[in-house]
Amino acid sequence: MPDWILENPENVSDAEIVVGIPSYNEADAIAFPTEQAAIGLTRFFPGRRGVIVNCDNASTDGTKEAFFNAPCVGVPRMYVSTPPGVKGKGNNFRNLFRLVTELGARAVVVVDADLKSITPKWIKNLGEPLFEDFGFVAPLYLRHKYDGTITNNIAYPLTRCLYGRRVRQPIGGDFGFSGDLASFYLGHETWNEDVAQFGIDIWMTTLAMYHRKPITQAFLGRPKIHRPKDPAASLGPMFRQVVGTMFHLMEAFASFWKQVRRSRPTAIFGFGLGETEMPPPVNVDVEALYRKFREGADRYEAAWEQALAPETFAKLREVGEMDQAHFEFPIPLWAHVLFDMAVAHRDRRLPREELLDSLAPLYYGRTLSFVRSTEGMALQQAEEYVEEQCLAFEEAKPYLVQRWGD
Amino acid sequence: MARILIVDDEEHIRSLYALELEDEGYEVLALESGKGLAEHIERFRPDVVVLDIKMVDVSGLDVLQEIRNRFYDLPVILCSAYGSYKGDIKSIAADYYVVKSSDLTELKTKIRNALETRIPQK
Repeated sequence: MPDWILENPENVSDAEIVVGIPSYNEADAIAFPTEQAAIGLTRFFPGRRGVIVNCDNASTDGTKEAFFNAPCVGVPRMYVSTPPGVKGKGNNFRNLFRLVTELGARAVVVVDADLKSITPKWIKNLGEPLFEDFGFVAPLYLRHKYDGTITNNIAYPLTRCLYGRRVRQPIGGDFGFSGDLASFYLGHETWNEDVAQFGIDIWMTTLAMYHRKPITQAFLGRPKIHRPKDPAASLGPMFRQVVGTMFHLMEAFASFWKQVRRSRPTAIFGFGLGETEMPPPVNVDVEALYRKFREGADRYEAAWEQALAPETFAKLREVGEMDQAHFEFPIPLWAHVLFDMAVAHRDRRLPREELLDSLAPLYYGRTLSFVRSTEGMALQQAEEYVEEQCLAFEEAKPYLVQRWGD
Repeated sequence: MARILIVDDEEHIRSLYALELEDEGYEVLALESGKGLAEHIERFRPDVVVLDIKMVDVSGLDVLQEIRNRFYDLPVILCSAYGSYKGDIKSIAADYYVVKSSDLTELKTKIRNALETRIPQK
C-alpha cells in the first residue's frame, strides 16, 4: 500500500458518514461542493457523526487551502493525498477506501470537485439509502443528450447487456457506497493501473453489479453541471482507461456475464425533489468527429482488420466509404465492434494500448451517428433512442457469447 | 404456467388482455385499480405485472415505485395509450414500456422477454 499524506486538524477518529471529494488542481472549484456537502450533512444527517474528506493528488494550485477555507460550519474536515507525483482519481479513491475503513464509517458519499450544480439534497439522496439496505448508490440526473457520450454509447449499453442491471450513469462520478463495500474494494484482486486512474468509476459500479450488492439510483433532480466537455475534444488517456477497465473485467467475470440474459431495471431513490431542471446545452463539433473517424481509418485500418471479425471489418469498410453527408454507423455494427474488440483484447491480438487507441476513432464515428440520429430530438426522445441502443446490444449479445467461447 | 397480473382501469382493455394472454397459456388476474396491489401480489404471486400508467384513482408510475420498493425483482411492463410517458424518468424503473394497441404482439414479446430475463446468483 503506497504512503499517503494525511492531515486531520480536528483529530477525527471515527465517523458514521464520510463525504469524499477527489481532486487534482481544483482550487477554483472545490469550495462549492465542500460547502454544499457540509450543509447536506448537518441538515439531513444531524444525529450522525460526519466528516468531509478531500482526497487529492498533491495538487500544486492551492486545492487543499481552498478546501479548508470553504465555509463549513459544524462539520470536521480531513485531507488525504497521494505522495507528490502519484496521480490518478482511482488512487484518490483507494486512499478514501482505506480511510473510511479506518474510521469505521457506515456510509460514504463521493462527489466531484468541479460540480457547480450540487445541492445539499444530493448528499441526502446519495447517502440515505446506505442506512437502509443498499450497498451502492449510482447517480441519476438529467444530462444533455450530448453530455456523456461515452456513457450513452459504451458504458451504459455494455454494462447493462453484460451484467443485466440497468444503471443509467455507471460512470457518473458521484456515488454512494457502504463502508463494507469500501473494505471490499480495498482488497479486490482486479485492481490495476487503469483502475487507479479514470477506470475507477466503472470498476466500482461493475464490482457492485457482479457481486450482487443491492444497488439503487439516486435521483438528484438537478442536471450535472461541471466543466463542459465537447464530445469531439481529445479523449486523452481517459477513454483508454475506462474501456480498458471494462474489457479487463469482462475477462475476470466471463463465467458470470455469459449466463446473463436481458436486463432488469434498478430501483430509484429520491423522487420529489421539486421541479426538475433541464441541463445546459452541449455543443458538438461534428466536423471534428468525422475528421477524427477518417484519420483513424487511415491510421488504424490494419489494426481493425486484425482485431475485428472479417464480417465486422467488411461492414466497417462500407461505413468508411461514406461521405460525411451520408455518414451512418449503425447500432448493431457498433455492438459487434465493441464485442470483437473485447475478444481481441482478451486474446492480445494487438498491443493493448494500440488496440484501445484504435477503438477511439470508431467511437468518434459512432458518436457522430448518435448526434445525427438524435438532432432535433428532445431529451426524452433521445433517452428513448439510448434505450433502443441498449436493447440492440442485448439482442446482439449471443454473438458475443459465441465469439468468446468457453 | 406463468402468472400475469394486469392492472388497468378500462374494462375492455382488461378483457382483451385477459382473453389473449389466457389463449397464450398464461394464468391471468385482472384488476381495475392499483390500490391495495401489494396484497394481490402476495396472494397471486405474479411472474409479470402489466400496469396501466394513467388510471382514474392512482398514477401507474406511483404504483410502479411501490412495487419496486416492496417487490424489487418483480418484472413490470408499463402500458399507456400515450408515448409521451416513455421518457418520464420514473418509467425507467419498469422493465419495458408498451404503447397500447389492439394488436398485442409487442406486449406478448415483452412478456416473453421479461420471463426469459436471467441474472444468475453468484
